Amino acid sequence: MNIRRMEKSTWIFIIISLLLFIVPFIVTGRSMQFTIIQIFIFAIFAMSYDILLGFTGIISFGHVMFFGIGAYSTAVIMDRMDATVMSFFVAILIAVFIAVIVSFIVGVLTLRLKSHFYAMLTLALAGLFLVAAEKWRSLTGGNDGFTFRLPEILRDSHNLYMLCLVSLLLFFFGLRRFTKSPFGRVLMAIRENEARTESLGYKVLHYKVIASVVAGVVASIAGVLYALSLRFVNTGVFATDLTIDVLLMTIIGGVGTLVGPILGAGLVEFAHHWLSGLSDVHWIFDRWIILYGTVYILVVIFFPLGIVGTIQSKLTNRPVKGLQDNRKAVGK
Amino acid sequence: MDLIISLTVNGLATGMLIFLLAAGLTLIFGLMSVLNFAHGGLFIWGAYTGVWSFQMTGSFIVGIIVAIITGLLLGLVTERLIIRPVYGNHIQQILITLGFMLVLQEFIKVVFGPDQKAVFPPEILQGSFLVGDIVLIKYRLFIIAVGLLIFIVSSFILKRTRVGLIVRAGVMNKEMVQSLGINIKLVFMLVFMVGAGLAALSGIMHAVYSGVIYAEMGLEFSILAFIVVVIGGMGSFSGSLFAAILVGLAQAFMAYYVPALSLAVNMLLMTVVLIFRPQGLFGKE
Amino acid sequence: MSSSLLKLDQVEAYIQKFHILQGVSFEVEKGGVTVLLGRNGAGKTTTLRTIMGLNQVGKGTITFNGENIGDLQTHQIANKGIGYVPEDQGVFGDLTVGENMRVAMKKEDEETTRRMEWVLELFPDLKKFWKKPGGALSGGQKQMLAIARAYVNENELLLIDEPSKGLAPIIVDKVTESIEQMKENTTILLVEQNFMMASKIGNQFFIIDDGKTVHKGQMEELKQDKVLMKKYLGIA
Repeated sequence: MNIRRMEKSTWIFIIISLLLFIVPFIVTGRSMQFTIIQIFIFAIFAMSYDILLGFTGIISFGHVMFFGIGAYSTAVIMDRMDATVMSFFVAILIAVFIAVIVSFIVGVLTLRLKSHFYAMLTLALAGLFLVAAEKWRSLTGGNDGFTFRLPEILRDSHNLYMLCLVSLLLFFFGLRRFTKSPFGRVLMAIRENEARTESLGYKVLHYKVIASVVAGVVASIAGVLYALSLRFVNTGVFATDLTIDVLLMTIIGGVGTLVGPILGAGLVEFAHHWLSGLSDVHWIFDRWIILYGTVYILVVIFFPLGIVGTIQSKLTNRPVKGLQDNRKAVGK
Repeated sequence: MDLIISLTVNGLATGMLIFLLAAGLTLIFGLMSVLNFAHGGLFIWGAYTGVWSFQMTGSFIVGIIVAIITGLLLGLVTERLIIRPVYGNHIQQILITLGFMLVLQEFIKVVFGPDQKAVFPPEILQGSFLVGDIVLIKYRLFIIAVGLLIFIVSSFILKRTRVGLIVRAGVMNKEMVQSLGINIKLVFMLVFMVGAGLAALSGIMHAVYSGVIYAEMGLEFSILAFIVVVIGGMGSFSGSLFAAILVGLAQAFMAYYVPALSLAVNMLLMTVVLIFRPQGLFGKE
Repeated sequence: MSSSLLKLDQVEAYIQKFHILQGVSFEVEKGGVTVLLGRNGAGKTTTLRTIMGLNQVGKGTITFNGENIGDLQTHQIANKGIGYVPEDQGVFGDLTVGENMRVAMKKEDEETTRRMEWVLELFPDLKKFWKKPGGALSGGQKQMLAIARAYVNENELLLIDEPSKGLAPIIVDKVTESIEQMKENTTILLVEQNFMMASKIGNQFFIIDDGKTVHKGQMEELKQDKVLMKKYLGIA
């Protein structure tokens, strides 16, 4: 790529990325470093969700299934094989492999449905994964989960930080290319008007399935990193709450922007970290979800583009248009 | 044979309970095309306020009435603040009501504390009848009766009264109904309140049935309600009744014969239905 | 002017960003049929919808019986005594003919019953298909049902949008006849493309072109004025 022709925003992202590499040398507190690592992981997860919600316009309530697949693949492989870097690569390969198969089958089966049916069916499928994880105790350890060993190099929190940061950057710039490619443009056309895109000759289902495979794979990597960061896994990695969390992160940050979900993940994780810390001051801070939910509702009503989307539309003077579904419904 | 009858009665009771939960959602979706994921939030508020006033006064009737009033009032607030800005936009409805669900659920903990609470049925509904060798638990029979009553009354109102006709006409052509001099906004608000009231009623009924309530029931029952409504075909009242009973029976029999699968039975049912009949059992194409 | 029932004064209206009505002014006298004429897309339907409050009034005033109704909501306007038959008839497809009528009937008093009987006599088909769903009726029957629904309440003014649209000539005659009978005791504001029909029942007319009223007069005069007809209506 010709450096002079790179967009201004790309430069900004590169500078911010470089700054992030310095952070662990400044912020040395374990708990803060851990929070930042969690932010990176959820940012990846939320970006993958943005591919579905923001770029293709579909709401999945079961996206956590891919996250869980990643987490369990890692945990099981590291547990059964030697704790080496090699096994870790095997774990990643297996996670990606399962995620591709599952997201492809799920996509083909469900993506023809209307928005709310799709949401419910993905919810059900993720629920089935949760039940399976609870019942297949010999593999998963059930609800209690299990801990596993890691090679020395991956146990170091500094290395973990760098690994998560590099993954985040790779996925960010990779997905950015992906969404700006002709393929990404078709996805956005589907989001804006599915019927019209279909009538222009695009096989909408193909595009949606591929989008959901991409999102599934990225989410599974987030799951891999999550298991890695905890050195522990339990059925919580299949919980619907996690899907809702990334949904809220994506919306608050700004759908269809990729930066938004990262910002959303940062805000939500920081707010959680900080407000829970205040619970000694007053018990109301234990109920931080109330604040979080209220902010989210206000965002949906007043800033349907989220933080980043709203700023972008102010800068470019484009008309604000939130998420819509194209079918006409009763009552306005 | 006795076992099958017992399981069937259990399944019917569970089914009716689920129907009460789904009825409000069906009403709100079928008539107003609103996807309300906060339904479970209204459900737990009904459960908590109902149980609280039941325990304060010792009267189950008072508990039921308080639950329904809570539901109606919360329904009013929800419709005005949450639903009105997003009429006609399904995706935004899903997103915003889901957020409101979390807020409602969390507020339960603020008002009633975060711990789960035990609930006992009123004396008159404790115990059981013995018919031959079959044990019929009184409270379950009560649930079946209430469920049937609600089904009959709502079907009658929708099919036979002018109010029901107006609501149905309003769904088909809102502008025309207004042009006939009817304040459709008010009508829709009332429909939403009734749906919320039904959610709250099912909350108190369920609280006594399961014997324990906790805040997280909100999301769980939002999801259960949607599963049933989806199986039944989004918005069909008879469809919801059928689907609720199907789910109830499946749960009862699975819990006995294949306990390992009982947790997944709702999800499995919905998956199978959606894959083979995407519009739901009673849904129109 | 005490005798004018409905008066529009420089009414402007938008549909989304489009400036559809750019100054519509006319008065409807009590009694008789006033016809709005004009080309497709001139703004006739929008005018009726704006009167009903289904479109917002951007500028200008609409008065009914001396009262400003421009800011009222649709149901309030309807309850002032205006009945509306929209272009697509607005029949509730899943409700039967009888149920359609029942939704419309605000009261169940003697007067309403009398009007109902009268209108059913006018349209015997409705009686015949009383239990048939509105969606299963023919185009002409739907039109009759829509008109009956607007008439059954004691409305002072009926707004009827293109009742002849898509109907066979013999049905158009039937509808024309019924409107003629109704004008005996109700004032009617009619939008009509079918000039034969309009000229047969209309008393006075207004022409709307590009969102403005550009001409008015008595129907009798218009029939003679070939130039005007060609210019605005495309009829030679």
